[in-house]
Amino acid sequence: MQVAESAQQAQHSQRSRLFDRIMSVIFLICAVLLVAIILSVIFFIASQSWQVFVQGGVGFFQYYFGSFWDPTGASGSPAYGAGGLIIGSVVTTVLAMVIVVPFAIGTAVFFTEAAPQWVIRILQPLIEVFTGIPSVVIGFLGLVTIIPVVQKISAPITGNLPTGGYGWATAILVLVIMVLPTTLSISIDSLRAVPDSVREASLALGSTRWQMMWRAVIPACAASLGTAVVLGFTRAIGEALAVSLVLAGAQIPAWPWSLAVFFQPNVNITQQIAQNFQETAGTAQYAYWTLAFTLLVITLIFVSISRFLSSRSVYK
Amino acid sequence: MSLQEALPVQAADEARVSALRRLTQRLSVTNTIALIILSLITLAVGALFIWIIIYLIVEGFTTLITPTFWGTTEAGIAPQIFNTFYILILTEIILVPVSLAGAIYLVEYSPQGRFIDVIHFAAETLSGVPSLVLGMFGFLVFAVYAHMGISRLAGALTLLCLNFPLALRLFEQALQSVPNDLREGALALGATKWRAIRTVVLPTALPVIITGVILTAGKIIGESAALIFTMGLFNPGNVFTLNPLIPSNTLTTWLYYLKGPGAGTTGLTSAQETAVAAGISAVLIILLLLINLSARAIGRFIQLRTTAA
Repeated sequence: MQVAESAQQAQHSQRSRLFDRIMSVIFLICAVLLVAIILSVIFFIASQSWQVFVQGGVGFFQYYFGSFWDPTGASGSPAYGAGGLIIGSVVTTVLAMVIVVPFAIGTAVFFTEAAPQWVIRILQPLIEVFTGIPSVVIGFLGLVTIIPVVQKISAPITGNLPTGGYGWATAILVLVIMVLPTTLSISIDSLRAVPDSVREASLALGSTRWQMMWRAVIPACAASLGTAVVLGFTRAIGEALAVSLVLAGAQIPAWPWSLAVFFQPNVNITQQIAQNFQETAGTAQYAYWTLAFTLLVITLIFVSISRFLSSRSVYK
Repeated sequence: MSLQEALPVQAADEARVSALRRLTQRLSVTNTIALIILSLITLAVGALFIWIIIYLIVEGFTTLITPTFWGTTEAGIAPQIFNTFYILILTEIILVPVSLAGAIYLVEYSPQGRFIDVIHFAAETLSGVPSLVLGMFGFLVFAVYAHMGISRLAGALTLLCLNFPLALRLFEQALQSVPNDLREGALALGATKWRAIRTVVLPTALPVIITGVILTAGKIIGESAALIFTMGLFNPGNVFTLNPLIPSNTLTTWLYYLKGPGAGTTGLTSAQETAVAAGISAVLIILLLLINLSARAIGRFIQLRTTAA
């Protein structure tokens, strides 16, 4: 009787140990799935993107340095010059970040070092809401509020262009709204990671508050602030629909440019993909895949930089 | 003699003192100016955020109180609301078990070291991939290669790829918030690892897990770029079915279509399109605020419980 019971118990515990093993394998598969996803994203997009050079017979140089983009051949013969789109992405991203960085870091410094409690209580939830704001909503906001203003301001420059207001300038402002909350919240995290002893040491040496922020706290987390900026770049260059709504162009304006180039319909990488990818096939679609792969490589570089910077940061 | 010697020393002292005074004055002026500039920057950012929320809600308000806006005609968003919540639930059904399982492996089973680093690096990389590019990937792999077509299922799987890194991180944090004593107690009583996780770790971490689910829900509701190629921009005749293999639009993609590629082709006047778009924006903002508030409420509940215990 007792023997049978203990045998049953042994069997039971063996079964539950087996079950434990099976569950751990299932969990392992789910964790590895993440690696599988990122590898297959890179693999499938790469495998589509080189086709434009192989099957389409487009020259590498012609693709990246040509400035006329018309893969479907709407205006005669197809043209695969992605240079203009890349310039569009670079210009809007860089200028947006030039505006974002001082605002994000300035706000983050004030927020963590000097802000009274009530400011924190108001701003904290606002930042959280805005990091998740849908990009089309900001795009819509750009259409109904920013474009009319930009159009009015730029009227003397563009010569009252009816489509004035669309273009890089508005796209930059939209990107600022999209990227600011992300950069801000990562900056706040990195400033908060600096231990109070750094602040106290600086103040005890007789620093003013500003000296404490500028000479002690910011250098102490410079690397992780760098991460915040790089992740802002990643977000800005990949931003698609908001920018697409306010760019509304088909080609980059012809060289030479005046200041008006910022205030007329224009292009970037994501806008062209969002607008045209679905309606294409064959070589034209491969051309869009190459754009996607270019974007993917750029963001991979940014992620690597941010990883390098965060490995260099002292306080995490 | 001594008096004559002392005089220049005093003068030098005075010079030094006044130099020091000037220095402190300069420092304090710099300090004041810097703090004023910083507070103005903060004020500008805060005002921008508040203005955007108020503007969007006020702009959409007249649409929100129009009954046709909630109907099923071209000017109504009932199908889009249904689709949005359908895709939200479908995605969460796949996302939560998969990413929770991954997080359980990383926190409970995996030894510290290289393997975790690889997974984290993969997660960081995947979360850096633009959602538009991920949408193209989803179109190729799920819609074309896996023969799902442009469908809700393809959209949900793409959203899984998009939100996996975030969900994994949130769930990892949730599991890490469970004190080790509880695990050790369960294991000491002879429970297998899985039993300890199921009966002790998961119930303790549940509120934080729910917060994580809510936060990913916010991201899913707001996502658009990943969906335009995988779920399409149009609805079939009847959207109010649970069929996962039909294309459909959501609040966000419909807003994009109305003001972007589809402007002027929807059978609405331009003013009507703008009104509907404003209404959708207001709905999205209100949903987002609700999601945030509930996540905060749960967070406060957790804090209360841990401080009471």
